[in-house]
Amino acid sequence: MPGKRTLDYAAYAAFIGLILCAPLVLEEFWLNRIAKFLVYGLLGVAIALSWGYAGILNLGQGLFFGLGAYMMAMSLKLASPTSLQQGSATPVPDFMLWNAEPGAKTDLCCINHGSFLWTPFQNPWFGIAMGVLVPVLVATLIGWVMFRKRISGVFVSIIMLALVLLVRLVVIDAQPVTNGFNGLTDLGNLVVFGVELDPYEVVTYYVVAGALALALIATRMLVETRAGLILQAIRDDQNRARYLGFDVPLYQVFFFAVSAAIAGVAGMLYVVVAQFASPTFMDLSFSITMVVWAAVGGRASLLGACIGAIGINIIEARASETQALVQAWRAVIGLIFVLVVLYLPRGVAGFASDAADAVLSRLGRKRPPAAQSAEERVAS
Amino acid sequence: MAEVVFIGLSLASVLLLVALGLAITYGAMGVINMAHGEMVMLGAYTTVLTRIYLHLDLLAAIPLAFIVTALVGYAIERVVVRRLYGRLLDTLLATWGVAILIQQAVRLELGASFFGLHIAGLGPGLQNVAVPPELTGALTLGGVQVNAFRAFIIVVTLLLALVTWLLMYRTSIGIQVRAIMRNPRMAAACGIDVDRVNALTFAYGSGLAGIAGVMVSGFKTVFPDMGTPMVVDAFLVVVVGGVGSLVGSIFSAGLLGQLNGITAFLSNDIIARAVVFAFVIAVIMTRPRGLFAQRTR
Amino acid sequence: MNMTTRMMTRRTALIGAAGALAAPYFFHRPARAADAIKVGVLFSQTGGLSIIEKSLNDATLMAISEINAKGGVLGRPVQAVVEDGASDPKTFNEKASKLVIQDKVPSVFACYTSASRKAVLPVFERRQSLLLYPTYYEGFECSKNVAYTGAVPNQQLSNFIPWIINTLGKKKFFIVGSNYIYPREMAKVSKILIEKNGGQWIADEYLELGDSEWGSMVNKIKNSGADVVLSNVVGDSVVAFYREFKNQGMSQDKLPICATVTSEIEIAAMGPEYAAGSFTSFPYFMAIDTDANKAFVERYRAYVKNPKAVTHHALESAYFQVFLWAQAVAQAKEAQPVPIRNALAGQEFAAPGGTVKIEPQNLHTWLTPRIAQWQPDGQGKIVDAYKTPVMPLPYVAYGETESAPFCTGKGLDTARLKG
Repeated sequence: MPGKRTLDYAAYAAFIGLILCAPLVLEEFWLNRIAKFLVYGLLGVAIALSWGYAGILNLGQGLFFGLGAYMMAMSLKLASPTSLQQGSATPVPDFMLWNAEPGAKTDLCCINHGSFLWTPFQNPWFGIAMGVLVPVLVATLIGWVMFRKRISGVFVSIIMLALVLLVRLVVIDAQPVTNGFNGLTDLGNLVVFGVELDPYEVVTYYVVAGALALALIATRMLVETRAGLILQAIRDDQNRARYLGFDVPLYQVFFFAVSAAIAGVAGMLYVVVAQFASPTFMDLSFSITMVVWAAVGGRASLLGACIGAIGINIIEARASETQALVQAWRAVIGLIFVLVVLYLPRGVAGFASDAADAVLSRLGRKRPPAAQSAEERVAS
Repeated sequence: MAEVVFIGLSLASVLLLVALGLAITYGAMGVINMAHGEMVMLGAYTTVLTRIYLHLDLLAAIPLAFIVTALVGYAIERVVVRRLYGRLLDTLLATWGVAILIQQAVRLELGASFFGLHIAGLGPGLQNVAVPPELTGALTLGGVQVNAFRAFIIVVTLLLALVTWLLMYRTSIGIQVRAIMRNPRMAAACGIDVDRVNALTFAYGSGLAGIAGVMVSGFKTVFPDMGTPMVVDAFLVVVVGGVGSLVGSIFSAGLLGQLNGITAFLSNDIIARAVVFAFVIAVIMTRPRGLFAQRTR
Repeated sequence: MNMTTRMMTRRTALIGAAGALAAPYFFHRPARAADAIKVGVLFSQTGGLSIIEKSLNDATLMAISEINAKGGVLGRPVQAVVEDGASDPKTFNEKASKLVIQDKVPSVFACYTSASRKAVLPVFERRQSLLLYPTYYEGFECSKNVAYTGAVPNQQLSNFIPWIINTLGKKKFFIVGSNYIYPREMAKVSKILIEKNGGQWIADEYLELGDSEWGSMVNKIKNSGADVVLSNVVGDSVVAFYREFKNQGMSQDKLPICATVTSEIEIAAMGPEYAAGSFTSFPYFMAIDTDANKAFVERYRAYVKNPKAVTHHALESAYFQVFLWAQAVAQAKEAQPVPIRNALAGQEFAAPGGTVKIEPQNLHTWLTPRIAQWQPDGQGKIVDAYKTPVMPLPYVAYGETESAPFCTGKGLDTARLKG
């Protein structure tokens, strides 16, 4: 039925149109804030892809977000005016002086053990490339081992959970190279093709919105390819897919890595709009929270999870800024989580689809099919 | 060296104390209860309140905490968990919400802070739990000075593990629990009241967490967020030990505790934490069903 | 694709459209009374750090209400816009930009941890706004947009280490801390001072922030041969540390813990008997025996309706910095960030713990170093104090001295840092 597919794309088009038009009504602060929320929307897409389509619930998605964020932040730190010897060919992040080896030269090569790792990040394109490559590499490696061993379900979740906590611990401990618990701060702005991405300018908003639009369209197309359909078959019955001759781990690893790449991009963009990277990005609570966003929006729908992430954050922002709720807003959020899981197991998107089904079937009885499809077009 | 082994043993006992309840709710019931840490927290707050309002010490708080948290656990099972059996990951998400609610309830002093009232013992601050004098300081055991309170925790943990084992393997309700664990539908068909047994099992698991709360309140800090890190460690213990295996949990708690203690002795505490996480990942990668896997359907 | 998925996406689009319709409500705030001076107050009301930050929030609001009771500033009342940082740097960053950009407040009283301050800093620097930061911290910062009213390392250590070595007669230090910047910087400054004063340090060990499993560490301390422990342990770990210390049979007489962070809050939570005999170095203690301080404690307890509430160093700073700010606004005659900042330089105030003054060069605060020994009643007995406030030197670890400050009105002299 070609009409239905058109409609589906119309929904994506409407959302993308909405986020692209938003700067017309948003003032400066909300522009920046919505840009942050769109980054969270990207995370929603990443989770829906791995959870909803591949059946892999990753409780450590923050790992990929954090890795992306740190890669970007390293480049921006070297471009920052607070770095020592700024403007010369050898800038050095100010915090490295804190842990300098005694008598070491103030130079990235050797100010402390490990500082040489920063050297290539002087080129922002290297940081951007690493922001995608490192998460993909980590996801591929760990995914390769896990899925070859046919580890699935909650065990994948726990491995990723332990991994994100392990990496967080290492990042905090490696203070000479990472600035430990304070994270990477006092960053410069990213400059690409001569355009400076100031977090409060419309151009930065469009970079984020463009990335989200692209991710939505690309993942949507991806899950409709043959590979995407096989992936969903694997989700529904792994053994049957295996007996049919499909290389199950290959598909799982591929989509796991794509999900990691999207989370890595989200991390990079977050650094661009918020101007810092912190080990708290790899806190367990953040990783769980982003899964809950996707669950509330609808884990089986890329667009639903994305809107869930954005919507919850808008609600959270409004609730926590209502002076009467400053202390209690978290309880409100907790209550929403519980109620949604109990009463809307497929999320807001699932509930909405059921309601629409009911309405449409009633309409369908009364009207000829052609009229119905016209009606639907208007409605969406 | 004996001191290092004792410290490892005491780390293990704390892990096991928190993990015991989880081994039951997760292992036997298939519920990932993220609010388990909040049960520990409620147990700790029960100790605080017992002292302030009943003027009783930590020992007297043990039964009270068990009752309080078992009741709260019972309520959570009835209202939330009951609707989610068979949806493992959904139990995780819903109980995460429950955990936030419980934390906020304690922080907002059950809502009293909205009216400008203050309930002593609740609220966002740190709380003070007094330890009975006979349990403070050090004992000398076989020429080694050991922390008296930690020795007490080891004893309590062993007792609780024993009681739990007896309950599960030597009573009729234990047989029912294990039957449900293997195959709930078949158990129901055999006339077991699955609803009731599940609710009681969940309450018992929560009650154990409450006792764990009393114990940790004696040497850790009591505040509303104290439970979250503990529940993670406890999960790792249960998964490494093998879901559904009580002996597995005991063994893995011992293993992780000693691993942590010895690594911390040889290098430092931070590397020890990292080694434990890496070990857990390695175990799940190589033996996803845990060290003491039990075949279930 | 199947029916369900299609409907789902269609519905989500509808939700999106509904969101757009609701936008005018969401994105605009109703106007407020024009005559009040609005200020931002941003501490964690939820999450793990609310333990301490809630008290900073209360002290700030109490100072504002006292100022308003006396007629406000420039004849206008001060109105606090309270936000919750939720113990998360991401939230701090977002709320700070809300306060500065949307609410357009000229100043914000905010932050407890360095991590949260670092996360909000770009917002203030870009907008030339003003942050007043009440916590002791590690130094190494020179921002024109922040006034720092807590202690920096030289105000906690330059008196403490010589006193431990000369007065207590302890020479072998075991340095222990939570694993992050502040304890590591304190350790660095301590080592310089220890060696200068003829002591030695035996170990420098860390525990994960928030970890409260002290068994191994205390055992190490016990077997290290040290005769004094220098603790830079922060937060809830402190309680577990002191308890484990006593429970492994160590006594504060033989091996005293000398701490830089342990305050009245942690002492009350661990039970004073565990800390009795140990020492802390801070510019302010609740036990400071002056009428001004006693009255302050009384007022604070009445304000939070808790007769057992305790006051501590960061809390006192959170309180007096509001008064310094109000004086600066009065002098600047306008509530704009840059004039307030300029007027803040050199501002003096009789705080509960004694006179404090903002150093014009670096906008840090002159404070009086004090050392207290904790008593069985949970109060600190002041055993050593400077007669006058000491100049703040945020770069002391890198050779900064009073006569050659690195951070001046012109900014940080980075040339001096290389050395």
